[in-house]
Amino acid sequence: MKSPIAWSIVLFALWLSGCASVSTDPREGGLAGGIKGLSTGAYDARIQEREDRLAVLRQVQGELETERADLEYTKAQRKQKVAAERARVRRMNRDIAALNQRVDSLSVSANRNDQRVRTLRTRVPQIQSQSARLQSDLDALEGSGLGDTEADLKRAQLEQQRASLQSEYDLLNQMSLDLAR
Amino acid sequence: MTRRRTRGVRTLAFLTACAFALTAGGAGVPLDEIRQVLREQALTAPAESRLRDLDAANLAIGLQAIDPAARYFPRALYRSPNQGRDAMSGIGAELLPSGDDLWLLPFQGGAAATAGLTDRARLRTIDGRSIAGLSLDEIAQRLRGPAGTRVVVGIEDAAGGARRLTIERRSFRPLDVELVQPGAHRILRVREFVAGLTRPALLATVDFIENTGAGQSEQDPIILDLRDATGGDLFEALDIAALFLPEGAQLATLAARGGVTKTIRAPAGTDLEQPLILLIGPGTASAAEILAGILRDHGRARLVGQTTYGKCDSQTDVRLSDGSVLRFTNRAVRLPSGEHCSGVGIAPDLAVDTATLNDLSRLVPRAIGAIHER
Repeated sequence: MKSPIAWSIVLFALWLSGCASVSTDPREGGLAGGIKGLSTGAYDARIQEREDRLAVLRQVQGELETERADLEYTKAQRKQKVAAERARVRRMNRDIAALNQRVDSLSVSANRNDQRVRTLRTRVPQIQSQSARLQSDLDALEGSGLGDTEADLKRAQLEQQRASLQSEYDLLNQMSLDLAR
Repeated sequence: MTRRRTRGVRTLAFLTACAFALTAGGAGVPLDEIRQVLREQALTAPAESRLRDLDAANLAIGLQAIDPAARYFPRALYRSPNQGRDAMSGIGAELLPSGDDLWLLPFQGGAAATAGLTDRARLRTIDGRSIAGLSLDEIAQRLRGPAGTRVVVGIEDAAGGARRLTIERRSFRPLDVELVQPGAHRILRVREFVAGLTRPALLATVDFIENTGAGQSEQDPIILDLRDATGGDLFEALDIAALFLPEGAQLATLAARGGVTKTIRAPAGTDLEQPLILLIGPGTASAAEILAGILRDHGRARLVGQTTYGKCDSQTDVRLSDGSVLRFTNRAVRLPSGEHCSGVGIAPDLAVDTATLNDLSRLVPRAIGAIHER
């Protein structure tokens, strides 16, 4: 049997090796690493590194926050644009409905074979149904399941279509007024 | 030239309606009125014997013997071509039979596209069952279903890659002009021409590309995909042609009964000056091929793909006294060159094989190359 002194030397050596880690983090480095870290300034460097990382995280968080705010703003703007467009289409719908009634009465008073009367009788109901379609498309745009790009494209198309129908309505309206004179 | 087997795109949403329209018969069909309209207004005066032969039970056959494009729609089944596509609930794709294959054509933003089907693909199975031996109607029935339900389709893309997709059906209204991006270039896809709606949608889409550039410059070509454009309103197509041509350019000459002709010219207005490429194929028909022919005749567009369907006539819809509608051919359309494409089609400047035609990722680079070859 070996002497107790020999056993003590072996155990002390094992304990020291457990402490001798390369890490300078006092939570991980063990006694030897910790002493080394404190004495060489590596521990301060580690703290600085953590603080730098924290600053970066805070900056990223700030950027994400700004991005979120931008998205919210864009979303609110989109909603506003859609609401404005819906109001314009509603107004156009009312105008076209009134024009349609005027065309009905013109059909009685004016010459039914007049090319302008025939154009009005054909095209006014068509733009009325197309305008109603624009209205329902705009109503359905929110929550349509379309991605942002598709929804933006759809809205752009609806705006242009509304403007185009509005121009046609103006021409037809003028034609009906000329006929009524 | 013989007509190709592939015939216009059949929209799932329309399949049932078309089937009814083609077989409409039974009591209450205003036959005398139909005879009278055709006698007075059809492009070519029908033989009296053919008109006499029309009967309610076989109306579709009788009408097509007079005019292949003629259709009768009972009041409840009529849908004006000027309405555009209705909202549809389903997988958000069309079925296109072509030869022995059945292709699924996804709509941008629809359920199939959301599930990952961004370009056309051959349909092979539905919910694990092969579609071999099923009729088009049976296949459509299996694909249809209420919003929120799912269907698993087995598909094979144009390059031959097979995969399965789970598609959750939902309510959806297609864009009037789609914007797809199979690679570096964005492509505008038109499937039908709707009076007063397609032209502004096209303009909005061109603006949208400019405003959301993504590396695309003003000198990059506009690529217009007309491969699945089966027609629609002739004047809307003429208005679109006018966007690319100077004021006064001849668009088409319309010939009606008795040799009465009218020449249509481009009005003043917006001019789009970018180089233009049109993708065409056997599914490109009527108003769409007339558009292609006009722009080709003026040297304004490069046509890439395969020869079009071959129908340069226009139809009109006449409402009958009981509310039903008769559609028939009333005008022949001549292109600026004087050509009439019916039965012939419009040939591309750059022809590609069918595999390339069906694969945008291969077709578009060829098309871009064609612009530089000019």
